[in-house]
Parts: sequence; structure tokens; C-alpha cells
Amino acid sequence: MELSDANLQTLTEYLKKTLDPDPAIRRPAEKFLESVEGSQNYPLLLLTLLEKSQENVIKVCASVTFKNYIKRNWRIVEDEPNKICESDRIAIKANIVPLMLSSPEQIQKQLSDAISIIGREDFPQKWPDLLTEMVNRFQSGDFHVINGVLRTAHSLFKRYRHEFKSNELWTEIKLVLDAFALPLTNLFKATIELCSTHANDASALKVLFSSLVLIAKLFYSLNFQDLPEFFEDNMETWMTNFHTLLTLDNKLLQTDDEEEAGLLELLKSQICDNAALYAQKYDEEFQPYLPRFVTAIWNLLVTTGQEVKYDLLVSNAIQFLASVCERPHYKHLFEDQNTLTSICEKVIVPNMEFRAADEEAFEDNSEEYIRRDLEGSDIDTRRRAACDLVRGLCKFFEGPVTGIFSGYVNSMLQEYAKNPSVNWKHKDAAIYLVTSLASKAQTQKHGITKANELVNLMEFFVNHILPDLKSPSVNEFPVLKADGIKYIMIFRSQVPKEQLLLSIPLLINHLQAESIVVHTYAAHALERLFTVRGTNNTILITAAEMAPFVEVLLTNLFKALTLPGSSENEYIMKAIMRSFSLLQESIIPYIPSVITQLTQKLLAVSKNPSKPHFNHYMFESICLSIRITCKANPDAVGSFEEALFMVFTEILQNDVQEFIPYVFQVMSLLLEMHKNEIPSSYMALFPHLLQPVLWERTGNIPPLVRLLQAYLERGANTIASAAADKIPGLLGVFQKLIASKANDHQGFYLLNSIIEHMPPESVDQYRKQIFILLFQRLQNSKTTKFIKSFLVFINLYCIKYGALALQEIFDSIQPKMFGMVLEKIIIPEIQKVSGQVEKKICAVGITKILTECPPMMDTEYTKLWTPLLQALIGLFELPEDDTIPDEEHFIDIEDTPGYQTAFSQLAFAGKKEHDPVGQMVNNPRIHLAQSLHKLSTACPGRVPSMLSTSLNAEALQYLQGYLQAASVTLL
Amino acid sequence: MPVVNEPSERMRKFKNRGKDAAAMRRQRVEVNIELRKAKKDEQILKRRSISIVSMEKSPTPGEDKNVIIQLSLEEIVKAVNGNNPELQLQATQAARRMLSRQKDPPLNQIIELGIIPRLVEFLTRTDSAPLQFEAAWALTNIASGTSEHTRAVVEGGAIPAFIALLSSPHMHISEQSVWALGNIAGDGPLYRDALINCNVIPPLLALVSPVTPIGFLRNITWTLSNLCRNKNPYPPLDAVKKMLPVLTCLMEHEDKEILADSCWAVSYLTDGSNDRIQIVVDTGILPRLVELMGGPELIIMTPALRAIGNVVTGTDEQTQAAIDAGVLVILPLLLRHAKPTIQKEAAWTLSNIAAGPCQQIQQLITCRLLPPLVELLDKGDFKAQKEAVWAVANFTTGGTVEQVVELVQSGVLKPLLNLLLAKDSKTILVILDTISNLFLAAEKLGETERLCLLVEELDGLEKIEALQTHDNNMVYRAALNIIEKYFSGEENPDLQPGTDQDGLYNFSVEKQDFDF
Repeated sequence: MELSDANLQTLTEYLKKTLDPDPAIRRPAEKFLESVEGSQNYPLLLLTLLEKSQENVIKVCASVTFKNYIKRNWRIVEDEPNKICESDRIAIKANIVPLMLSSPEQIQKQLSDAISIIGREDFPQKWPDLLTEMVNRFQSGDFHVINGVLRTAHSLFKRYRHEFKSNELWTEIKLVLDAFALPLTNLFKATIELCSTHANDASALKVLFSSLVLIAKLFYSLNFQDLPEFFEDNMETWMTNFHTLLTLDNKLLQTDDEEEAGLLELLKSQICDNAALYAQKYDEEFQPYLPRFVTAIWNLLVTTGQEVKYDLLVSNAIQFLASVCERPHYKHLFEDQNTLTSICEKVIVPNMEFRAADEEAFEDNSEEYIRRDLEGSDIDTRRRAACDLVRGLCKFFEGPVTGIFSGYVNSMLQEYAKNPSVNWKHKDAAIYLVTSLASKAQTQKHGITKANELVNLMEFFVNHILPDLKSPSVNEFPVLKADGIKYIMIFRSQVPKEQLLLSIPLLINHLQAESIVVHTYAAHALERLFTVRGTNNTILITAAEMAPFVEVLLTNLFKALTLPGSSENEYIMKAIMRSFSLLQESIIPYIPSVITQLTQKLLAVSKNPSKPHFNHYMFESICLSIRITCKANPDAVGSFEEALFMVFTEILQNDVQEFIPYVFQVMSLLLEMHKNEIPSSYMALFPHLLQPVLWERTGNIPPLVRLLQAYLERGANTIASAAADKIPGLLGVFQKLIASKANDHQGFYLLNSIIEHMPPESVDQYRKQIFILLFQRLQNSKTTKFIKSFLVFINLYCIKYGALALQEIFDSIQPKMFGMVLEKIIIPEIQKVSGQVEKKICAVGITKILTECPPMMDTEYTKLWTPLLQALIGLFELPEDDTIPDEEHFIDIEDTPGYQTAFSQLAFAGKKEHDPVGQMVNNPRIHLAQSLHKLSTACPGRVPSMLSTSLNAEALQYLQGYLQAASVTLL
Repeated sequence: MPVVNEPSERMRKFKNRGKDAAAMRRQRVEVNIELRKAKKDEQILKRRSISIVSMEKSPTPGEDKNVIIQLSLEEIVKAVNGNNPELQLQATQAARRMLSRQKDPPLNQIIELGIIPRLVEFLTRTDSAPLQFEAAWALTNIASGTSEHTRAVVEGGAIPAFIALLSSPHMHISEQSVWALGNIAGDGPLYRDALINCNVIPPLLALVSPVTPIGFLRNITWTLSNLCRNKNPYPPLDAVKKMLPVLTCLMEHEDKEILADSCWAVSYLTDGSNDRIQIVVDTGILPRLVELMGGPELIIMTPALRAIGNVVTGTDEQTQAAIDAGVLVILPLLLRHAKPTIQKEAAWTLSNIAAGPCQQIQQLITCRLLPPLVELLDKGDFKAQKEAVWAVANFTTGGTVEQVVELVQSGVLKPLLNLLLAKDSKTILVILDTISNLFLAAEKLGETERLCLLVEELDGLEKIEALQTHDNNMVYRAALNIIEKYFSGEENPDLQPGTDQDGLYNFSVEKQDFDF
């Protein structure tokens, strides 16, 4: 493409079309641009347009297109063609900096991004003059230009904050420091001077403070990896000025916006970060400055308002204090009683207060509120920072801090008592304070596990928490209700059982509260209480103790799902699941109504599944209903099928991907409940389960395999007689699975079920092919997981069809094959088999090979007999070999294409462990002894002579132990 | 039995996958580029001899502090190049005096006068000891400057002249030469080896005797240490072997500076490959080094600790030699030392011992190294904390399950998890690796669940969760991996099979020859 007016015109047309809302116009234009972007001069045309076009939209559009073009094409990937010709690259680098600096801000940002992308690849080697070019602009005095340079520098240098130390990186940083540190320092000083010159000029101040913010950020990046010599030498300049800036205020810089942080806040916040960086990493050098910063930051906190715009600044500042007060050598800065009192009073308490913004979230954005308050996604909130400071201070001053706060808690409670409806926020703060003071360790599973012994949790509970919850009106003071419920929940491991039992009806009652937060907390608290374990690790609250509340609990839980805003409330659904699991057969009388409500819910949400946790717990609840009911009355399975199949069919027909794996699991569970032959409704579905489209989704594989296994267990004969033509399809699934390193074990599950349950004649014609397939995989990509499954399978085959059949089929594929597998696979690898049942299968299989396979006694395979026996004794007696070759370690992670289809296993649809040799062999060691004895009676003298020639002494000793235990001797 | 492996051996293989002990032991040099100021606790490379008028005891006869003759630079050039011995001495003395003043000695100007070859020539003037001495002093001070300054002296031919002067009958001249040679050797490996090739060592060592005055002996020790110093390349082996016996003797001296400098020398000699470490170990000096490392003097403790720290970067046997010499008894004191650099070196040393086989890790437990390690992790200076993190990481990589349990019981988790907030990506990654190691051990004990709770209780979980958004790819992947593996669900992938017919998979194979 030439740099011609005509081309500029064409490009303008197409750029304009890419902004068209109509995809029929927009898409072809985008396609066109993509098709020409490989041409020489294309980027230069874009640069020309963004500079010279008459229309601002085109300028902006060209700049965005240019940035994206650079992002896609600049990097030169090894073995791939260079996508931008060299002359264009040179021209871009020569022009982009001045162009960026002379552009309006909107375009400047795009070009600045483009520069940093180019810089990431080319700087410093292939762009040596970039730094000088940028630094020279510092002298321009034009702060629009200077800010452009600073912004670009920031995007180039910010990677120093997260990359690993390396020679290459440090060489670059050194180069940057040499060229940049001094000019930056001078600019910093000059800018601060200008700030006082222009102290009354609001617009000038804004520009100057944006520079200062960027300079402070650059300081952070340049000082991150290590303390550079230059900055150590100039610490006085930087820190003194930072300190001054922290204490500075100027009315002109205060913003009206309550939410968005202003420049002053951003600057101070970055300075807190810078001070924290030095305090953490360069303590030795920074020590002289630190006390000043502590004082300044603390004063800053005392004088900063409650508005949301100060949140980041305040939480950064508090976190700084929290990190410093834990250090032994700064203890003295805090230990004075007045200091402590003042920090508690002026920094901690005010930041724990429930603010207007919190109240808004509580009412209008309860999901977010719950996420922050309950799940701890409150990392950078003020409350959280204040809480961390309490914990930090408690490290050295637990006694005094607890004392100071007790006073506060009491006075806040008194305030509340005077006039609850006006002063309820005081009580909220008191509860929060007690909680953060008392909590020393906490987990989701157990709540608070270690508490501050100086806080009387029980007294507070009885006097201040229970009364609120006992109040007849569940809708009054919802925030305090939520606080109270949360208190029970997080101190559940501390509160005695009687008290917990006392709170249960109260919690059940609060399921009816209108406030989403309150009824959600009630559900969550109940769910958590039902999992608390007592002293002997049994469930603390028993089904019997819950008996009086079953009906009201279930009623209120399902009713809560109908409250506005909670129709897919995962906490409620989880509480339902947990209640079922705790109450067991006492829910049976309510099942008809429960299952109706659940299926209706399922039908409703399957239109647009959006809450994965809710859905998961819903399916778990369905599974529990089935299990509990059918355990008492197996015939009830039919009524569940009746209730559920219609919805399931709809889900399968509409291909609701999120739900299909769940449906298969529930169906497996239902199918396994049947005692007789497989019902025809299931058989009709069978061919559909073999459809490749289902197997392409990784999330379907485990539940589908599980379901097919259930089919084989219950209906192998029906399949053999009524669906014999589907057997190749079934084996095709096995073939598909076996080809994948990740899914091969699933293929073996299926194959094992086929071998175990299908009538032999129905699979006869495929047997050889099955083995050839397995051998191919063994030859081409042998992994530990595959070998383990393979060993289990061949031994299962041996048990089912006999050792001779195994030898024959191997040797029919290739002469001497049986010997090769024994020597190269079974003997050296058997130690790797894991799992109780798996080991047993292998033991019984190998015993058969040793004792029921004539070729082992009278052909060249005989030399493998003793080694095989020795390997078997090893399997019995040696620790499992869990070595995994280096190259296999990352298979699982590397091959994961993404986890969006991850399989969601239902705990309550769980499959019982199946032991195919269970009845046949109880003790495989005794079984070996008996089998050897039988063999030795058949050919007297042979066995002892083989043992004495080459079995190692240790193994022989073990073997003699087995023989003794079985009370047999070898002849 | 063919399938038997020592279980512990096997576990080691598993846990140390991809890492062998050599890779785990971290040599001193990881990065050659320094952003920091040159370390204050390093030994001085070059020294200038400053005349402080009142202290100058005028070793040159005829010079009296009252009759100091001031000469201009022009006059100096003229006199030095002239033939009048009197004026030569005066001018050389004047130059030397300028070079010895406390502030801004005119090194460049003197060099630019072009008188260095002449000064070198004066070194050979056995007829005038005062002239030899003044020239030697002046050259010493020029050589004490930058590399360029040193080069000017060397290129003026000073090396052989100074070496010859070592054997001067005048002790003060010989001592001045030792000093000058120390400055030249301190410049770097090139001149160091130039000196060695000119056979500097025998005459230098010959100066060491029981009657050598302490001040002189200090100079000799310092120059010897500079001859041992620097890598790329290391000093030649035979030179090292010649110096070592003398250094070993010097390490028995009672003078602090002599001890310090001889320890520095040994620290340089051990800062290298294992065969170099072995030479030092073979002298049997380790117990003495350990003793010095535990002494009260910082200037001795620093290099002694460095030397021992270097030794334990070596083979398991070399590390064992250091352990047998008692290093583990002294290390707890040093880990608790007030000075951050000592804490750091001690932790580095510990980290390399922890990289050894589990028998050595056991000794580390027996000698009660875990409590100070945990303390350091909790409260130490950041540089020391970083090393402590490595120590824990190596411990969890090479230790047995029982040893790892011991480590956890000593309270390592809390400070370790707190350091996930460190502003250093590598440290964070090492901690995440360590956490994975702990989980592997917990899995073997069936205690995964308990470890999960412990990590969560200590606020580790939320820190690991937060790291899932870290800008460093490896850090975020490591964090994600731990979360996925131990704190949540499952994972699944795929590969490829055959074709379909009637919409179902086609089950078919072609036979091939097998050989496993």
C-alpha cells in the first residue's frame, strides 16, 4: 500500500464502517482491515490518519486500530514470519514518541500503550534512543508533554514490580536508572516548586499533581527490585518531599465527587505504598525516616473523612501502620498508652463504623454485601484494614488494646441502649469490634478456631446477641439481626452446645425475614451449625435433637426461596441439602412436597442456568431425597423417575450443557436403585448416550462413563440381546477415551465393566481388537496412569476368562507377546498399582497366571515364573511405588484446555466401591498359598525346585509365612 | 528383588523431581549486575596511604615538617625528568605529598604529567633509599585509584620493580611495595594474575616471620587476600596452594585485622567450584573458621561466616565437614545477630545446609536450628527473610515426611504465609513451591484436610487466592494450582480417537508390531 491520498481515503471509509452498529456493514469492514494489515505502510497510513484526519472520530478510531495492530503483530515469534516489515518498524519507532506527545489525551493514551508494547519487545537493545528522547522532553516545561512521557515510562517500567530478578532485567534497570533517575529527581523537585508557585491555580495544580502521581508510581517501579544506589544517595530528597506531600492539603484539589478518588488521594495513597515498600525491603536504610512517616500517616488517618473516595487511601494507610506495628524494633512507636488509645479511638473505631455506603449495599446490593462480609472478599475495605490493625497491635499489646476497646464497646452499647432506633449503628460497630478483637484464627469450615481469651464471648452472646434474635419482629433492625446471626455462625466452635440448640429455632425463624442479608445469613448459619463436630468428631447437633423443628425448618427454607431476590439463593439451597443430610429419614413424610418443589425449581432454572452453586446444591438435594427415600422403600424409585424424567428429557433435548453431567449422575443413581432388569425407558435412551457429541465435552465424560457402567451392571444381558448392534459403538467410546492421556482411566472403567458383565460370546469377536488397541497405546505413549489401569484390566480379564485365555490371546496377536508383557510390563511395573481393590485384582490375576497357565510351566516362559512370583510378593509386602517420571508431572495441567467444562461431581450421587473378586477371594495371600499348593500336587517337585533356585531369601520367607497361615505345604 | 527400591530413596527422587542437590545449592553469584551501593561490609579493594601531618613520622631523613617544599606541577615534571638527585627527591616527595592529601588527590593530573615511568625508574635506585620510598609511596597512591589509574602504574612497568623491592633491605620500602602490590592485585583478575606470573608470591611469603612487625604483617595479609580475590578466572591453583599454608598460620594470629583479612582471603578461595572448596577443606582450617565466626568481632565474623557459607555450597561431604567443624552450633547465634547482613549470610548458609541429604537436615533439627529460623522468618530483616524462605523451601524439598512435620510443628507456617505479602515475586514463588511440598507431605500422612485448615486459619488461603491475580505468570499459576488442587474442585483434559459411522464411534484398529 502506498502512502497516497487515495489509500488514506479508502482507509478512512473502512474505519468509519467499523464503527457502524449494523454488523452487516461493520463485519466486512473489519475483515477488510485485517486482510490489508500485512501490507507495507499500513501502520504508517494509520499514524497519518490519527494525526491529520479532519474528523476526530477517525483520529480516535485510527489510534485504537493502530494500538491493536501493534499488539497483534509487533512481537516476532520464532519460526513464524515477521508480520511487520523492517522499514515500517523503523519509521514507527522514529515517529511515535513525538506524535504521542503532541496528540490530545485520548489518542495519547492509545499511543502510549502502543509504545509500551513495542518497548516490551525492543527496549532497550532495539530502541536505544527511546530513553534519551523521553528524558529530553522533561526540559520542555510543557506538562502535557511531560505527563505523556511519564505515562509511557510508567507503562514501560511497571513490569519491574513483578518480574523475577535476572541479569537481563537488572541490566535494563541499571540502564534506565543511569539515564532516568537524575532527570526524574530534578523533575520531582521542580514540579513540587511549581506546585507552590501555582498554589492558587486550580487547573495548573491538576496537571502538576497528575505528574506527581506518575512520578510517585515510577519511584515505586524503579525501587522495587532492589534499592538503587542513586535513590539511596537521594533518599533525603525523596523522602522529605514525600513526607511533605503526605501532610499537604489544598482546597483547590479537593473534589466534590464522593466516590471517585481525587489526585490528592491517589498521590498520598501511592506515597503510602512507597513508604511501605521501603519499610518492608530497605528497613536498614529507611529506619531514620520511618517514625516521621508513621506520625504523618496516622495524622492523615485522623483527619480523613468517611467518604468512599478516601477508601483506598485509608486502607493503604492503615495497612502501613499494621505492618509496621508488628515489627519488634518499632514496638516503641506504639507502646505509649496515649498513643494506643488514640490509634484505637481515632483510627480503628471510626473505620469500623457502618457507613451510608454500607447501608446502601446492605439494602440494594445484598449479594455484594454478603460476598464482602461473609466470604472475606473485603481485602481492601476500611473495616478489614482496621481489623488487621487490631490484630497487628494485639501481637504486642493484646492486654492494653483489649482494655481500651472494652471501654469503647461498653460506651457504644450504652449509646445504643439510650435510643436503639437512632443509635443502632453504635451497636453494629460494637459487635464488629468484639468480633475482630476476639478472632485470632478463622476458617470457612469451622468459623473462629482461636479466640482472644481476654474477651468474654459468652457474656456478650447472652447479653447482647440473643436478645436481638429473640425479638418477635424479624424485620426490625436488619443490620443488627445480620450481625447477631453472623456472631453465632463465626463463634460456633466456641459457643457451648446448649446455647447453639437454643439459637436454632431463632435462626429458623429468621429465614422468614424480608431482608435478603438476614434470611441468607440465617440459612448459612444453620447450614454451618449442622456441620459442627463435637468432641469425638461426631456431628454435634443430631437428627433427634432437630426432630421438633423438622417441619418448620423445611417449610421456612423452601419459603425463603420465594422471597424477593432469593429465588436462586445458593446459601438457602445449601442449607436445604445440609438439612436433608442431617435429618435423613425424618424428611421422608415431606418428600412428595419437597420433590415437587425441587423439580419445579429445576425446570425454572434450566431455562437459564446462572448460579452454578445453587444448581449444584439443588442436584445434591435431589440425590439425597432419592437415596434417603429408596433406602427405606426401594420401590419408591419409580415415583422419582416419574417426577424427574420429564424435566430431564427437556434438559437433554435443549442441550442445557451445565446440567447434563448432573442429569447423568442422578440417572445413574436411579438406575442403580433398580434390583431387576433394566427398565425399557432406560433402554430407549441407550443409543443416544453413545453419541459422539456428548463425549466431546470433557465435563460429560466421568458421569457418562458412570452411567454406562450402571447400564452394564444392571442390563448387560438386555444390551447383548436387544442392542447387540450398539456394541461397536460402545467399544468406540472406549477407543475414544483410551486415546487420551487424560481420560484413559475412564476408558478402562468402561472396559472393565464390559468384561465383567457382558456375556462372553457377545464381545468375543472384538476381544483381539481391544488388546491390539491397548498395545498400541502402550507402544506409542506409555504413561504411569495408563500402565496402572492396564495392569488391573489384564488381571481382571485373566480372572474372568482364565490365565490360559489371556496367554493365548496375547500370543495370537504376536508370537511371544505374553512373555514380553510379563517381562517388560507386569514384573517391573506391578508395584505401581494403587488402591485396595485394584491390588487385589492384580494379586488374584497373577496367582492364576502362576498356577493355572500350563505354558508357564513347560515353555520358555518358565524362566519368568519365579520373577513373577517375586513381583507378586513385592506387591503384597513392599510399599507402593509412587514415583512418577519427571516428564509426566505436568500432564494434567498442561493438557487442560480450560476448566469451564470441569466435571462437577455430586457427593450424594456417589458410587459404592465395587469389588469384582470380593466373594471369590478373601485373603489373596492365603489364596496364593492354596493355589501354589494345588499346582505342586499336580506336578510334584517342580515348585519347590523353582523356588529354591531363584527366589530371593526375603521373598521366600514371606511366602513361607503365607503357606503356614494357609496350613499347606508344597510338594 | 528387581522391584525394590529403598522407600526413602524413592521418595527423595519423587520430591526432588527435576532438581538435584547441585541446583538447589545456591552459589553466591546469581546476578552479576548490582543496583545497590557497593556493600559496606565488603573488604576494601584498594587503599591510599594518607599523610596526616601530625602522624607522619617522617621516615625520610632530611625531611622535616617545618621545611616542606611546595612545588608547582611544572616544577615537579622538570625536576623528576632532570638529573639532579636532590631535586628528584624533592619533586617526588612533593608529588607524593599531593597524592596523600585527604581531599581530592590530583591523581589524574599527576598521571597526565607523564612522570610514572620515571617514578618506576626511581624504584630501582638502590643508591637512594629515600627516593625509592617516595616513588613507591606516590605510585601506591596512584594505583589506589580507579582501574584506569592502576593501569597507568602497571603500564609504567611498576610490577617487576615492586616485586624486586619486596626484598629491599629497608623494611619500610619493602612494606610500601607490599602495599602497592596489594593495590595492583585488588584491581582485578588480570593484574592479579600478572603479579602471580611475575612470581610475586615467594618473596611476599618470605616476608612473613615470627618477628615481622604487626603493622607490616597486616599489609602482607591484606595483599595476600587481594591475590586470592576475584573470579573469572580464579587465581591459578598452584598459587593458591602456595598461599594457603601461610594463610592458615595467619589465622592463628591474635591481631584482629590480620585475622579479618586472612578470613577474607579464605572466603575468596572458597567462593568457587567444589574443587577449590576442597583445597581449603583439606587444610583442616574449618574448625578455626567456625570458631572465628562465633567470635565477638564483627570484622572477623563477617568474612569467616562468608567462608563457611561458601563451603556449604559444595558437595555433601564438604558440607558435612563444615557441620563436623561445629557450624550448626554457632549459626543460631548468628541468625539472631543484630546486624541484618549477618542474619542474611547466616540464613543463606543455613539454606544450603538444608539443601543437603536428610541426614544433614536431621542434624539441623538436632542442633535446634528451627526456632531461630522461624524467628528470623517472622521478624528478620527482609534480606534475611528471603534467605530463610529458601532454607525452608530446601528443607521441605529434601526432608523426610517426619522432618517436614517437625518443621511445621516448630511454627514455620505463620511467618511463611505472612511473607506471601512480600514485594518480591521470586520469594513468593518459592513460598508457593514450599506450600506445595508441605501438601505433598500432608498427602502422604493423610493430613491434607488438616493442613488446608491450618493454612486458612493463618490467613494463608486468602493470600494465595489474592495471588491468582498476580502479574507474574509463574506466581499466578503456582497459586492457581494450589487453590485448584487443595482448596477446590477438579480438572479434566482431552486427546483424539477414530471416526464415526451411523453417528457412533467406529471401533476399529490396525495391527502393528509391538515391542515395549
